[in-house]
Amino acid sequence: MKDSGMIENARSVDRAATIVLVAGMSFILIPLAIAAVTATQPYETFIEAGGLSFALGGHFLDNMEKILSETKLLRQLGNSLAVATIVAVMKVGFCFLAAYALVFFEGKFRRALFAVMIATVMLPLDLRVITTYQIVANVAMPLNWILDATGANWAIEKVAGFRPYFRLSLLDTYFGTAAPIAANCTAVFIFRQFFLTLPKDLPRAAIMDGAGPIRFMIDIVLPLSKTPIVATLLFFFVGAWTNYLWPLVAASTPDQQTAVVGLARIADSDIDEIPQVPLLMAGALFVSFIPVALIAVMQRQIVRGLNLSSR
Amino acid sequence: MLALILMFFYIPVFLAFFWSFFLERPFGGGSEFVGLQNFRRVLSDQEFWRAMWRTLLFMVLAPGTAIGVSLVLALAADRGIRLSHPARNIIIWPKAIAGASIGLVFVFIFNPHLGLFAPLNDLFPGLWNPRIDGTDAYLMLLVAQVWNGIPFNFIILLSGLQSIPDSLAKAAAMDGAGPWRRIIDIQIPLLTPQLFLTFVLEFVGSVVEAFGLIDTMTEGGPGGATTLLVYKIYVDGFKAYDLSGAATQTALLMTAVAIMVALQFRLEKRVKYER
Repeated sequence: MKDSGMIENARSVDRAATIVLVAGMSFILIPLAIAAVTATQPYETFIEAGGLSFALGGHFLDNMEKILSETKLLRQLGNSLAVATIVAVMKVGFCFLAAYALVFFEGKFRRALFAVMIATVMLPLDLRVITTYQIVANVAMPLNWILDATGANWAIEKVAGFRPYFRLSLLDTYFGTAAPIAANCTAVFIFRQFFLTLPKDLPRAAIMDGAGPIRFMIDIVLPLSKTPIVATLLFFFVGAWTNYLWPLVAASTPDQQTAVVGLARIADSDIDEIPQVPLLMAGALFVSFIPVALIAVMQRQIVRGLNLSSR
Repeated sequence: MLALILMFFYIPVFLAFFWSFFLERPFGGGSEFVGLQNFRRVLSDQEFWRAMWRTLLFMVLAPGTAIGVSLVLALAADRGIRLSHPARNIIIWPKAIAGASIGLVFVFIFNPHLGLFAPLNDLFPGLWNPRIDGTDAYLMLLVAQVWNGIPFNFIILLSGLQSIPDSLAKAAAMDGAGPWRRIIDIQIPLLTPQLFLTFVLEFVGSVVEAFGLIDTMTEGGPGGATTLLVYKIYVDGFKAYDLSGAATQTALLMTAVAIMVALQFRLEKRVKYER
């Protein structure tokens, strides 16, 4: 669009741009196309062809049926749905409130709070997976430390004759899988950026009308923030869905694993024979379908709502 | 929620540093203060250094390639030609596909006997085999990581390009700067904040995001050629139950990442452009 109003010959650039885009889209689409074509082939044809071939096999539904009946991927898809939803709602809800407090309130601890949150963006969950696992395996661990450190345990031992040790594991639960992923404040920056673009007179006008901070948030800021809220919800939903390392360790039983982890476990099972590639490709499509459809349909809203340009 | 951040962020970070000074027994068998012994053990381990170098190399190659490719794509999509529309949509699809899922697809595509290069291997036996050749495996990992990393950089860079005022391009055109010239002299310099953002995020991301790919594609092999630090920590901690070793490596890796991010922010102060 940019050059349409200009009198200049941009044909060479546009031709180069077309070639670049075709190459880029091919790079993205070819692996997906290979997966899709292979997912239509029955195992026998796949073996006969000696591997990768571009012939459609017409067995897509059979392969899907196998996915549904022979694997737990459908149940695991439900797990992914639950975990990703919890993560998205927790993250967006908290970050919205935190950014609201940061932007609209003067406070002593504002800078400290901001620093506390910035750190969570720098060190991703996968980096601290070992110790996070230990905490989730026993969320009462800090309580035990406190009891030990304050001498309370010593007192209890004297009186009751035993040393209390609390244990509560959140492994293999939706919350235990979701909460550590949600303990991240990326969205605070997105909301903060958005709030800063709102007119400065807005809060003043609200105060004049007698609206308190909660009224102001619910009646004014919340409706105005629809675009970034929808975008971040979708973005974090997809992000949690595609997470791998943490869900892999946080849930050990197939019934509690997420779909991506379940898919990788199917691939693990038969290492010696020629792998069930068509089935695996069908599985890869099966676990990727929901997030890809979301991104493809909501692409505009996501890009606009994240407002990444105004940094 | 602040409690959750404390619980699942600050305590684990603290615990990693804390445990690096203790010999921690698996299954809660008590612990013993050992001072710097863990660090001495880890730092004198050849495997640790090899994994560290592989990680550092990966941190340079993967973001560099992904951002370079994304930049070219974003510049092309910004031209507003007919293909821009579908491209803007399709190029971000990989964002929605887990590394572990696409890893399975890539490991099939690059399979020396079943995949895309199988015919080539028939002609020149042993030309391509990521199962035996470490360099091939590393390359395969890199391609998959770039595939997965393009969307995010592409979105950021494209929205950056689109926020550059039209009037600048028009003024430059009046001065006789052609579209190629404007890419070098106007668009890329004005894109510095976005380029910086993508570098910081990709840098941190490439340390950990490759895990899903490694676990499904190579499992660290062949012969450890694709064992990046994040994978080594996972194996040490969850397979070998060496909690202290894993915690020590976690502490070292977190320190390295924090230092690098801090350095990048210092760098940003120097290259700041005002719009």
